[in-house]
Amino acid sequence: MTTPSLQKYLFLIIPALILVLSVAVVFSGEEGVTQIYRKAIDPFDDERLVDSVLSLPEDTVLVKERYQGGPFWTETRKDKMERFQCSQCHSNKEVTIAQAADIAHGDIVLDHGGKNKPLSCSICHHEAERDLLVTEKGVKVDMDHSYQMCGQCHFRQNKDWVGGAHGKRVSYWAGKRVVKNCTSCHDAHSPRFEKRWPEAYSPPVNE
Amino acid sequence: MKPGKHMDCQNRKENSPLKGKPLGRREFLKSTGKVAALGGAALASGCGTGLIGSNEELRLRWKEYFKGNYQLMTQAEKDETIKRLERLAKIDRGVDIQISSKGPIEGVLFGYAFNVTRCEGFMECVSACVRENNLDRKTQTQYVRIFEMEYGQMNPESGNGKYFHEVPVEGHFYMGVQCFQCESAPCIKACPTKATWREPDGLVVVDYDWCIGCRYCMAACPYWGRRFNWNTPVIPPEQMTKKQHYLGNRLRGKGQVEKCTFCVQRTREGRLPACVEACPTGSRIFGNLLDPKSEIRFVLQNKKVFRLKEDLGTDPKFWYFID
Repeated sequence: MTTPSLQKYLFLIIPALILVLSVAVVFSGEEGVTQIYRKAIDPFDDERLVDSVLSLPEDTVLVKERYQGGPFWTETRKDKMERFQCSQCHSNKEVTIAQAADIAHGDIVLDHGGKNKPLSCSICHHEAERDLLVTEKGVKVDMDHSYQMCGQCHFRQNKDWVGGAHGKRVSYWAGKRVVKNCTSCHDAHSPRFEKRWPEAYSPPVNE
Repeated sequence: MKPGKHMDCQNRKENSPLKGKPLGRREFLKSTGKVAALGGAALASGCGTGLIGSNEELRLRWKEYFKGNYQLMTQAEKDETIKRLERLAKIDRGVDIQISSKGPIEGVLFGYAFNVTRCEGFMECVSACVRENNLDRKTQTQYVRIFEMEYGQMNPESGNGKYFHEVPVEGHFYMGVQCFQCESAPCIKACPTKATWREPDGLVVVDYDWCIGCRYCMAACPYWGRRFNWNTPVIPPEQMTKKQHYLGNRLRGKGQVEKCTFCVQRTREGRLPACVEACPTGSRIFGNLLDPKSEIRFVLQNKKVFRLKEDLGTDPKFWYFID
Protein backbone atom coordinates (compact mmCIF):
# COMPACT_ATOMS: atom_id res chain seq x y z
CA MET A 1 0.00 0.00 0.00
CA THR A 2 2.74 2.49 0.95
CA THR A 3 5.07 1.77 -1.96
CA PRO A 4 2.93 3.13 -4.83
CA SER A 5 2.14 6.38 -2.95
CA LEU A 6 5.85 6.88 -2.21
CA GLN A 7 6.58 6.38 -5.89
CA LYS A 8 3.89 8.89 -6.74
CA TYR A 9 5.47 11.40 -4.36
CA LEU A 10 8.90 10.74 -5.79
CA PHE A 11 7.63 11.63 -9.24
CA LEU A 12 6.58 14.97 -7.80
CA ILE A 13 9.55 15.55 -5.56
CA ILE A 14 12.26 14.97 -8.14
CA PRO A 15 10.94 17.47 -10.72
CA ALA A 16 10.33 19.95 -7.92
CA LEU A 17 13.92 19.53 -6.75
CA ILE A 18 15.24 19.98 -10.27
CA LEU A 19 13.15 23.11 -10.67
CA VAL A 20 14.37 24.60 -7.38
CA LEU A 21 18.00 23.82 -8.19
CA SER A 22 17.81 25.21 -11.70
CA VAL A 23 16.22 28.42 -10.40
CA ALA A 24 19.01 28.68 -7.85
CA VAL A 25 21.62 28.17 -10.56
CA VAL A 26 20.03 30.76 -12.81
CA PHE A 27 19.94 33.34 -10.04
CA SER A 28 23.45 32.64 -8.84
CA GLY A 29 24.58 33.18 -12.44
CA GLU A 30 23.14 36.68 -12.34
CA GLU A 31 25.41 37.67 -9.53
CA GLY A 32 28.15 39.75 -10.98
CA VAL A 33 29.33 43.27 -11.24
CA THR A 34 26.24 44.33 -13.20
CA GLN A 35 24.01 43.08 -10.41
CA ILE A 36 26.24 44.65 -7.79
CA TYR A 37 26.14 48.12 -9.25
CA ARG A 38 22.43 47.98 -10.02
CA LYS A 39 21.73 47.29 -6.37
CA ALA A 40 23.77 50.30 -5.29
CA ILE A 41 21.30 53.16 -5.26
CA ASP A 42 22.54 55.31 -2.39
CA PRO A 43 24.74 58.18 -3.47
CA PHE A 44 28.36 57.96 -2.42
CA ASP A 45 29.35 60.49 0.22
CA ASP A 46 32.56 61.87 -1.28
CA GLU A 47 33.22 64.45 1.39
CA ARG A 48 33.07 61.97 4.23
CA LEU A 49 34.74 58.93 2.70
CA VAL A 50 37.55 60.34 0.58
CA ASP A 51 39.82 62.29 2.88
CA SER A 52 42.13 63.74 0.27
CA VAL A 53 39.51 65.53 -1.82
CA LEU A 54 40.68 69.01 -2.57
CA SER A 55 38.67 72.17 -2.31
CA LEU A 56 37.33 73.68 -5.50
CA PRO A 57 40.04 75.15 -7.77
CA GLU A 58 39.79 78.91 -8.23
CA ASP A 59 39.37 78.94 -12.00
CA THR A 60 36.00 77.22 -11.96
CA VAL A 61 32.48 78.42 -12.40
CA LEU A 62 29.18 76.88 -11.33
CA VAL A 63 27.40 75.41 -14.32
CA LYS A 64 23.86 76.63 -14.84
CA GLU A 65 22.61 73.09 -15.34
CA ARG A 66 22.49 70.20 -12.91
CA TYR A 67 23.72 66.68 -13.42
CA GLN A 68 22.33 63.54 -11.78
CA GLY A 69 24.33 64.36 -8.65
CA GLY A 70 23.32 68.00 -8.33
CA PRO A 71 25.34 71.10 -9.09
CA PHE A 72 28.71 70.87 -10.83
CA TRP A 73 31.48 73.16 -11.91
CA THR A 74 33.44 73.76 -15.06
CA GLU A 75 36.71 75.44 -15.96
CA THR A 76 36.58 79.14 -16.65
CA ARG A 77 37.41 80.54 -20.03
CA LYS A 78 37.73 84.31 -19.78
CA ASP A 79 40.90 84.29 -17.70
CA LYS A 80 42.62 82.04 -20.23
CA MET A 81 41.86 84.17 -23.27
CA GLU A 82 44.75 86.24 -24.45
CA ARG A 83 42.95 89.44 -25.27
CA PHE A 84 39.88 89.51 -23.12
CA GLN A 85 38.08 91.83 -22.74
CA CYS A 86 37.04 92.25 -26.32
CA SER A 87 35.53 95.64 -25.62
CA GLN A 88 39.00 97.06 -25.05
CA CYS A 89 39.26 97.39 -28.81
CA HIS A 90 35.75 96.74 -29.99
CA SER A 91 34.08 99.87 -28.75
CA ASN A 92 32.88 103.09 -30.20
CA LYS A 93 36.31 104.58 -29.68
CA GLU A 94 38.76 104.67 -32.52
CA VAL A 95 41.47 102.00 -32.38
CA THR A 96 44.65 103.87 -31.55
CA ILE A 97 47.06 100.98 -31.07
CA ALA A 98 50.01 101.06 -33.44
CA GLN A 99 50.15 97.32 -34.07
CA ALA A 100 46.43 96.95 -34.55
CA ALA A 101 46.97 94.78 -37.58
CA ASP A 102 49.17 92.39 -35.62
CA ILE A 103 46.77 91.89 -32.78
CA ALA A 104 43.72 91.56 -34.97
CA HIS A 105 42.23 88.15 -35.56
CA GLY A 106 44.25 87.02 -38.55
CA ASP A 107 45.34 83.89 -36.67
CA ILE A 108 41.83 82.56 -36.38
CA VAL A 109 41.00 79.73 -38.76
CA LEU A 110 37.28 79.31 -39.01
CA ASP A 111 36.40 75.71 -39.77
CA HIS A 112 33.09 75.19 -38.04
CA GLY A 113 29.74 74.20 -39.44
CA GLY A 114 30.77 72.36 -42.59
CA LYS A 115 31.76 73.54 -46.03
CA ASN A 116 28.29 74.19 -47.36
CA LYS A 117 27.09 76.23 -44.46
CA PRO A 118 30.05 77.63 -42.53
CA LEU A 119 29.44 79.74 -39.46
CA SER A 120 30.31 83.40 -39.40
CA CYS A 121 31.50 85.51 -36.45
CA SER A 122 28.17 87.08 -35.64
CA ILE A 123 26.38 83.73 -35.35
CA CYS A 124 28.04 83.27 -31.97
CA HIS A 125 29.43 86.69 -31.04
CA HIS A 126 27.13 89.48 -29.97
CA GLU A 127 27.54 92.33 -32.40
CA ALA A 128 26.96 95.16 -30.00
CA GLU A 129 28.25 93.81 -26.71
CA ARG A 130 31.48 92.26 -27.85
CA ASP A 131 32.33 90.62 -24.53
CA LEU A 132 29.35 88.34 -24.83
CA LEU A 133 28.11 85.53 -27.03
CA VAL A 134 24.57 85.30 -28.26
CA THR A 135 22.36 82.30 -28.99
CA GLU A 136 20.02 81.90 -31.93
CA LYS A 137 17.18 82.91 -29.67
CA GLY A 138 19.01 86.10 -28.77
CA VAL A 139 19.98 85.12 -25.22
CA LYS A 140 23.28 86.66 -24.16
CA VAL A 141 25.81 84.10 -22.95
CA ASP A 142 28.91 84.72 -20.87
CA MET A 143 32.17 83.35 -22.32
CA ASP A 144 32.60 81.13 -19.25
CA HIS A 145 29.33 79.39 -20.02
CA SER A 146 30.11 78.52 -23.61
CA TYR A 147 28.38 75.13 -23.21
CA GLN A 148 25.11 77.04 -23.57
CA MET A 149 26.25 78.17 -27.00
CA CYS A 150 27.58 74.82 -28.17
CA GLY A 151 24.58 72.97 -26.79
CA GLN A 152 22.23 74.73 -29.21
CA CYS A 153 23.35 72.52 -32.08
CA HIS A 154 25.35 69.86 -30.25
CA PHE A 155 22.51 69.04 -27.88
CA ARG A 156 23.41 65.36 -27.81
CA GLN A 157 26.99 66.11 -26.79
CA ASN A 158 25.66 68.63 -24.31
CA LYS A 159 23.45 66.01 -22.68
CA ASP A 160 26.37 63.58 -22.51
CA TRP A 161 28.61 66.31 -21.14
CA VAL A 162 26.16 67.09 -18.35
CA GLY A 163 25.82 63.39 -17.51
CA GLY A 164 29.49 62.50 -17.91
CA ALA A 165 29.82 60.50 -21.13
CA HIS A 166 31.33 63.39 -23.12
CA GLY A 167 34.25 65.47 -21.96
CA LYS A 168 36.21 64.70 -18.85
CA ARG A 169 36.58 65.46 -15.22
CA VAL A 170 39.49 67.52 -13.99
CA SER A 171 42.02 65.50 -11.93
CA TYR A 172 39.60 63.92 -9.42
CA TRP A 173 36.94 61.26 -9.72
CA ALA A 174 35.78 62.06 -6.18
CA GLY A 175 34.70 65.24 -4.49
CA LYS A 176 32.92 68.14 -6.10
CA ARG A 177 32.46 67.46 -9.78
CA VAL A 178 34.64 69.75 -11.89
CA VAL A 179 34.64 69.10 -15.63
CA LYS A 180 36.44 70.54 -18.60
CA ASN A 181 34.59 73.22 -20.48
CA CYS A 182 33.86 72.74 -24.21
CA THR A 183 36.57 75.24 -25.02
CA SER A 184 39.11 73.55 -22.72
CA CYS A 185 39.53 70.86 -25.36
CA HIS A 186 37.99 72.25 -28.54
CA ASP A 187 38.97 75.37 -30.40
CA ALA A 188 35.61 77.05 -30.84
CA HIS A 189 36.62 78.30 -34.30
CA SER A 190 37.77 74.91 -35.65
CA PRO A 191 36.50 72.40 -33.13
CA ARG A 192 37.66 69.18 -34.76
CA PHE A 193 40.94 67.84 -33.34
CA GLU A 194 43.85 68.14 -35.70
CA LYS A 195 45.49 65.03 -37.07
CA ARG A 196 48.82 64.32 -35.48
CA TRP A 197 51.42 61.67 -34.85
CA PRO A 198 50.86 59.18 -32.05
CA GLU A 199 53.09 59.51 -29.01
CA ALA A 200 54.00 55.83 -28.76
CA TYR A 201 53.20 52.51 -30.30
CA SER A 202 51.81 49.24 -28.96
CA PRO A 203 53.22 45.78 -29.51
CA PRO A 204 50.68 43.08 -30.48
CA VAL A 205 48.54 41.79 -27.63
CA ASN A 206 50.35 38.52 -27.23
CA GLU A 207 53.81 40.04 -26.88
CA MET B 1 76.30 39.14 -11.69
CA LYS B 2 79.49 41.00 -12.37
CA PRO B 3 82.63 38.87 -12.67
CA GLY B 4 84.33 40.93 -9.97
CA LYS B 5 81.76 39.98 -7.40
CA HIS B 6 82.05 36.35 -8.30
CA MET B 7 85.76 36.52 -7.70
CA ASP B 8 85.12 37.92 -4.26
CA CYS B 9 83.06 34.92 -3.35
CA GLN B 10 85.73 32.54 -4.43
CA ASN B 11 88.48 34.44 -2.71
CA ARG B 12 86.64 34.39 0.53
CA LYS B 13 86.27 30.66 0.36
CA GLU B 14 89.98 30.20 -0.33
CA ASN B 15 91.06 32.52 2.43
CA SER B 16 88.86 30.74 4.90
CA PRO B 17 90.82 29.60 7.96
CA LEU B 18 89.04 26.26 7.82
CA LYS B 19 90.96 25.11 4.82
CA GLY B 20 93.35 22.22 5.30
CA LYS B 21 93.06 22.02 9.10
CA PRO B 22 92.03 18.92 10.96
CA LEU B 23 88.81 19.70 12.84
CA GLY B 24 87.83 18.92 16.37
CA ARG B 25 84.19 18.72 17.40
CA ARG B 26 84.29 22.16 19.00
CA GLU B 27 85.88 23.85 15.98
CA PHE B 28 83.53 22.05 13.69
CA LEU B 29 80.43 23.36 15.47
CA LYS B 30 81.88 26.85 15.63
CA SER B 31 82.71 26.88 11.95
CA THR B 32 79.37 25.44 10.84
CA GLY B 33 77.71 28.31 12.68
CA LYS B 34 79.87 30.75 10.77
CA VAL B 35 79.22 29.06 7.45
CA ALA B 36 75.50 29.10 8.10
CA ALA B 37 75.66 32.81 8.84
CA LEU B 38 77.69 33.42 5.70
CA GLY B 39 75.35 31.30 3.63
CA GLY B 40 72.31 33.09 4.97
CA ALA B 41 73.88 36.43 4.29
CA ALA B 42 74.85 35.41 0.78
CA LEU B 43 71.31 34.15 0.20
CA ALA B 44 69.79 37.43 1.28
CA SER B 45 72.23 39.68 -0.47
CA GLY B 46 73.23 37.82 -3.61
CA CYS B 47 76.70 36.37 -3.05
CA GLY B 48 78.51 38.62 -0.74
CA THR B 49 77.51 42.11 -1.81
CA GLY B 50 75.87 42.52 1.57
CA LEU B 51 79.05 41.56 3.33
CA ILE B 52 81.05 44.09 1.41
CA GLY B 53 78.21 46.62 1.56
CA SER B 54 76.89 48.14 4.71
CA ASN B 55 75.61 46.16 7.62
CA GLU B 56 72.38 48.10 7.32
CA GLU B 57 71.72 46.95 3.78
CA LEU B 58 72.33 43.36 4.75
CA ARG B 59 69.87 43.64 7.63
CA LEU B 60 67.24 45.27 5.40
CA ARG B 61 67.55 42.64 2.71
CA TRP B 62 67.42 39.84 5.22
CA LYS B 63 64.18 41.18 6.70
CA GLU B 64 62.72 41.87 3.27
CA TYR B 65 63.45 38.32 2.20
CA PHE B 66 61.50 36.82 5.06
CA LYS B 67 58.56 39.22 5.20
CA GLY B 68 54.98 37.95 4.94
CA ASN B 69 52.32 38.28 2.29
CA TYR B 70 50.86 41.80 2.18
CA GLN B 71 47.36 40.47 2.82
CA LEU B 72 48.47 38.96 6.13
CA MET B 73 50.51 41.93 7.36
CA THR B 74 49.36 44.11 10.22
CA GLN B 75 49.58 47.85 9.72
CA ALA B 76 52.75 47.93 11.83
CA GLU B 77 54.37 45.33 9.60
CA LYS B 78 53.31 47.25 6.50
CA ASP B 79 54.87 50.41 7.88
CA GLU B 80 58.09 48.55 8.63
CA THR B 81 58.43 47.01 5.18
CA ILE B 82 57.65 50.37 3.58
CA LYS B 83 60.40 51.98 5.62
CA ARG B 84 62.80 49.25 4.49
CA LEU B 85 61.80 49.55 0.83
CA GLU B 86 62.20 53.33 0.89
CA ARG B 87 65.64 52.97 2.42
CA LEU B 88 66.66 50.27 -0.07
CA ALA B 89 65.54 52.42 -3.00
CA LYS B 90 67.79 55.15 -1.62
CA ILE B 91 70.72 52.72 -1.34
CA ASP B 92 70.17 51.00 -4.71
CA ARG B 93 69.09 53.84 -6.92
CA GLY B 94 69.73 56.97 -4.92
CA VAL B 95 66.14 58.16 -5.05
CA ASP B 96 63.87 59.39 -2.28
CA ILE B 97 60.51 57.72 -2.65
CA GLN B 98 57.36 57.66 -0.55
CA ILE B 99 55.41 54.41 -0.54
CA SER B 100 51.79 54.41 0.60
CA SER B 101 49.85 51.49 2.02
CA LYS B 102 46.49 53.25 1.81
CA GLY B 103 43.66 50.77 1.90
CA PRO B 104 40.47 50.72 -0.15
CA ILE B 105 37.83 53.39 0.39
CA GLU B 106 34.56 52.13 1.83
CA GLY B 107 31.65 52.00 -0.61
CA VAL B 108 33.83 52.16 -3.71
CA LEU B 109 34.00 49.75 -6.63
CA PHE B 110 36.07 51.10 -9.47
CA GLY B 111 34.78 50.89 -13.00
CA TYR B 112 36.11 52.08 -16.32
CA ALA B 113 34.58 52.85 -19.68
CA PHE B 114 36.29 53.42 -23.00
CA ASN B 115 34.67 55.31 -25.86
CA VAL B 116 35.66 53.58 -29.09
CA THR B 117 33.98 56.28 -31.18
CA ARG B 118 35.92 59.09 -29.64
CA CYS B 119 39.43 57.66 -29.26
CA GLU B 120 41.65 58.97 -32.03
CA GLY B 121 44.77 56.95 -31.32
CA PHE B 122 47.08 59.71 -30.07
CA MET B 123 48.47 57.28 -27.47
CA GLU B 124 49.04 59.92 -24.84
CA CYS B 125 47.52 57.49 -22.33
CA VAL B 126 50.28 54.98 -23.09
CA SER B 127 53.16 57.32 -22.36
CA ALA B 128 51.41 58.79 -19.31
CA CYS B 129 51.01 55.29 -17.92
CA VAL B 130 54.66 54.44 -18.51
CA ARG B 131 55.74 57.55 -16.63
CA GLU B 132 53.27 57.18 -13.77
CA ASN B 133 53.79 53.48 -13.13
CA ASN B 134 57.59 53.39 -13.41
CA LEU B 135 57.51 50.89 -16.24
CA ASP B 136 60.70 49.46 -17.67
CA ARG B 137 62.14 51.77 -20.33
CA LYS B 138 64.57 49.15 -21.61
CA THR B 139 62.03 46.63 -22.87
CA GLN B 140 59.37 49.34 -23.27
CA THR B 141 56.80 47.67 -21.07
CA GLN B 142 53.30 49.12 -21.44
CA TYR B 143 50.10 48.40 -19.55
CA VAL B 144 47.85 50.26 -21.95
CA ARG B 145 47.75 49.35 -25.60
CA ILE B 146 45.87 51.06 -28.41
CA PHE B 147 45.04 49.28 -31.63
CA GLU B 148 44.00 50.75 -34.93
CA MET B 149 41.14 48.67 -36.24
CA GLU B 150 39.12 48.72 -39.40
CA TYR B 151 35.41 49.27 -39.13
CA GLY B 152 33.71 45.99 -38.39
CA GLN B 153 36.65 44.45 -36.56
CA MET B 154 36.05 43.45 -32.98
CA ASN B 155 39.15 41.61 -31.90
CA PRO B 156 42.21 43.61 -30.80
CA GLU B 157 44.37 40.65 -31.78
CA SER B 158 43.81 41.60 -35.41
CA GLY B 159 44.35 45.31 -34.74
CA ASN B 160 47.49 47.22 -35.59
CA GLY B 161 49.33 48.77 -32.68
CA LYS B 162 52.41 49.91 -34.55
CA TYR B 163 50.73 52.35 -36.88
CA PHE B 164 53.20 54.87 -38.16
CA HIS B 165 51.21 57.72 -39.63
CA GLU B 166 49.13 60.66 -38.52
CA VAL B 167 45.93 59.72 -36.73
CA PRO B 168 42.98 59.40 -36.90
CA VAL B 169 42.65 57.62 -40.24
CA GLU B 170 39.43 57.48 -42.20
CA GLY B 171 37.59 54.17 -41.93
CA HIS B 172 39.32 53.11 -38.73
CA PHE B 173 38.60 53.21 -35.03
CA TYR B 174 40.90 52.89 -32.07
CA MET B 175 40.50 50.41 -29.27
CA GLY B 176 42.46 50.42 -26.03
CA VAL B 177 43.12 47.36 -23.92
CA GLN B 178 44.64 47.05 -20.48
CA CYS B 179 43.87 45.03 -17.37
CA PHE B 180 40.08 44.91 -17.01
CA GLN B 181 40.09 44.21 -13.24
CA CYS B 182 37.73 41.26 -13.61
CA GLU B 183 35.36 40.52 -10.73
CA SER B 184 35.93 36.83 -11.32
CA ALA B 185 39.53 37.03 -12.41
CA PRO B 186 41.15 33.88 -13.80
CA CYS B 187 44.63 35.16 -13.01
CA ILE B 188 43.86 35.09 -9.28
CA LYS B 189 42.76 31.47 -9.46
CA ALA B 190 45.91 30.52 -11.36
CA CYS B 191 48.39 32.00 -8.91
CA PRO B 192 50.06 29.26 -6.85
CA THR B 193 51.47 31.59 -4.18
CA LYS B 194 48.48 33.88 -3.56
CA ALA B 195 50.61 36.76 -4.75
CA THR B 196 47.68 38.30 -6.59
CA TRP B 197 44.19 39.01 -5.32
CA ARG B 198 41.14 41.22 -5.63
CA GLU B 199 41.00 44.18 -3.28
CA PRO B 200 37.63 45.22 -1.80
CA ASP B 201 37.45 48.18 -4.18
CA GLY B 202 37.64 45.77 -7.10
CA LEU B 203 41.27 46.24 -8.09
CA VAL B 204 43.27 43.13 -8.88
CA VAL B 205 46.70 43.72 -7.39
CA VAL B 206 50.03 41.90 -7.09
CA ASP B 207 52.34 41.60 -4.10
CA TYR B 208 55.48 41.71 -6.21
CA ASP B 209 57.61 40.20 -3.47
CA TRP B 210 55.43 37.11 -3.31
CA CYS B 211 55.45 36.60 -7.04
CA ILE B 212 57.68 33.68 -8.00
CA GLY B 213 57.55 34.53 -11.69
CA CYS B 214 55.84 31.34 -12.85
CA ARG B 215 53.63 33.39 -15.21
CA TYR B 216 50.62 31.11 -14.76
CA CYS B 217 48.53 34.27 -14.37
CA MET B 218 49.70 35.52 -17.75
CA ALA B 219 48.64 32.25 -19.32
CA ALA B 220 45.29 32.41 -17.55
CA CYS B 221 44.44 36.00 -18.51
CA PRO B 222 42.30 36.12 -21.67
CA TYR B 223 42.85 39.87 -22.05
CA TRP B 224 46.64 39.98 -22.22
CA GLY B 225 46.62 42.19 -19.11
CA ARG B 226 49.84 41.19 -17.39
CA ARG B 227 53.50 41.95 -18.01
CA PHE B 228 56.62 40.08 -16.98
CA ASN B 229 59.93 41.63 -16.01
CA TRP B 230 62.63 39.79 -17.90
CA ASN B 231 65.18 42.12 -16.40
CA THR B 232 65.34 44.53 -13.50
CA PRO B 233 63.32 47.51 -14.75
CA VAL B 234 65.45 50.40 -15.95
CA ILE B 235 64.00 53.76 -14.96
CA PRO B 236 66.05 56.97 -15.08
CA PRO B 237 65.89 58.38 -11.52
CA GLU B 238 64.82 61.82 -12.72
CA GLN B 239 61.83 60.31 -14.57
CA MET B 240 60.73 58.13 -11.69
CA THR B 241 57.37 58.75 -10.02
CA LYS B 242 58.36 59.11 -6.39
CA LYS B 243 54.87 58.91 -4.93
CA GLN B 244 54.25 55.18 -4.92
CA HIS B 245 51.94 52.55 -3.53
CA TYR B 246 52.93 49.14 -2.22
CA LEU B 247 50.45 47.44 -4.55
CA GLY B 248 50.94 49.87 -7.39
CA ASN B 249 53.87 51.60 -8.97
CA ARG B 250 56.63 50.76 -6.51
CA LEU B 251 59.82 49.37 -7.96
CA ARG B 252 59.59 45.84 -9.26
CA GLY B 253 62.39 43.36 -9.64
CA LYS B 254 63.54 40.88 -12.22
CA GLY B 255 61.26 37.87 -12.58
CA GLN B 256 58.12 39.54 -11.23
CA VAL B 257 54.77 39.95 -12.91
CA GLU B 258 53.10 43.34 -12.91
CA LYS B 259 49.87 44.80 -14.21
CA CYS B 260 47.64 47.83 -14.44
CA THR B 261 46.00 48.65 -11.10
CA PHE B 262 43.92 51.60 -12.32
CA CYS B 263 46.77 53.58 -10.70
CA VAL B 264 45.95 52.48 -7.15
CA GLN B 265 48.32 55.15 -5.81
CA ARG B 266 46.15 57.84 -7.39
CA THR B 267 42.63 56.44 -7.32
CA ARG B 268 42.58 55.69 -3.62
CA GLU B 269 43.25 59.36 -3.06
CA GLY B 270 40.32 60.38 -5.21
CA ARG B 271 42.45 61.21 -8.24
CA LEU B 272 41.94 59.88 -11.74
CA PRO B 273 44.23 57.22 -13.22
CA ALA B 274 47.09 58.61 -15.30
CA CYS B 275 45.60 57.37 -18.59
CA VAL B 276 42.26 59.06 -17.91
CA GLU B 277 43.91 62.30 -16.96
CA ALA B 278 46.17 62.23 -20.02
CA CYS B 279 43.50 61.40 -22.59
CA PRO B 280 43.10 64.44 -24.87
CA THR B 281 39.79 63.28 -26.32
CA GLY B 282 37.87 62.33 -23.18
CA SER B 283 37.46 58.75 -24.34
CA ARG B 284 38.22 57.37 -20.93
CA ILE B 285 35.63 57.48 -18.18
CA PHE B 286 36.51 56.37 -14.68
CA GLY B 287 34.50 56.31 -11.50
CA ASN B 288 32.76 54.57 -8.65
CA LEU B 289 30.30 51.91 -9.80
CA LEU B 290 28.49 52.00 -6.46
CA ASP B 291 27.73 55.70 -6.80
CA PRO B 292 24.55 56.31 -8.82
CA LYS B 293 25.62 59.89 -9.58
CA SER B 294 29.00 58.93 -11.06
CA GLU B 295 29.93 59.33 -14.72
CA ILE B 296 30.54 55.62 -15.16
CA ARG B 297 27.01 54.85 -14.03
CA PHE B 298 25.66 57.44 -16.48
CA VAL B 299 27.55 55.73 -19.29
CA LEU B 300 26.31 52.28 -18.32
CA GLN B 301 22.75 53.54 -18.12
CA ASN B 302 22.59 55.74 -21.21
CA LYS B 303 25.09 54.37 -23.70
CA LYS B 304 25.43 51.25 -25.75
CA VAL B 305 28.07 49.33 -23.86
CA PHE B 306 29.81 46.02 -24.35
CA ARG B 307 32.59 44.10 -22.69
CA LEU B 308 35.32 42.12 -24.34
CA LYS B 309 34.88 38.33 -24.33
CA GLU B 310 31.93 38.60 -21.99
CA ASP B 311 31.04 34.95 -22.65
CA LEU B 312 34.07 33.82 -20.64
CA GLY B 313 32.35 34.85 -17.43
CA THR B 314 35.32 36.80 -16.13
CA ASP B 315 33.05 39.75 -15.41
CA PRO B 316 35.44 42.58 -16.27
CA LYS B 317 34.87 46.07 -14.86
CA PHE B 318 35.88 47.67 -18.13
CA TRP B 319 33.22 48.57 -20.67
CA TYR B 320 33.52 49.82 -24.22
CA PHE B 321 30.88 52.19 -25.44
CA ILE B 322 29.90 53.98 -28.61
CA ASP B 323 28.50 57.47 -28.94
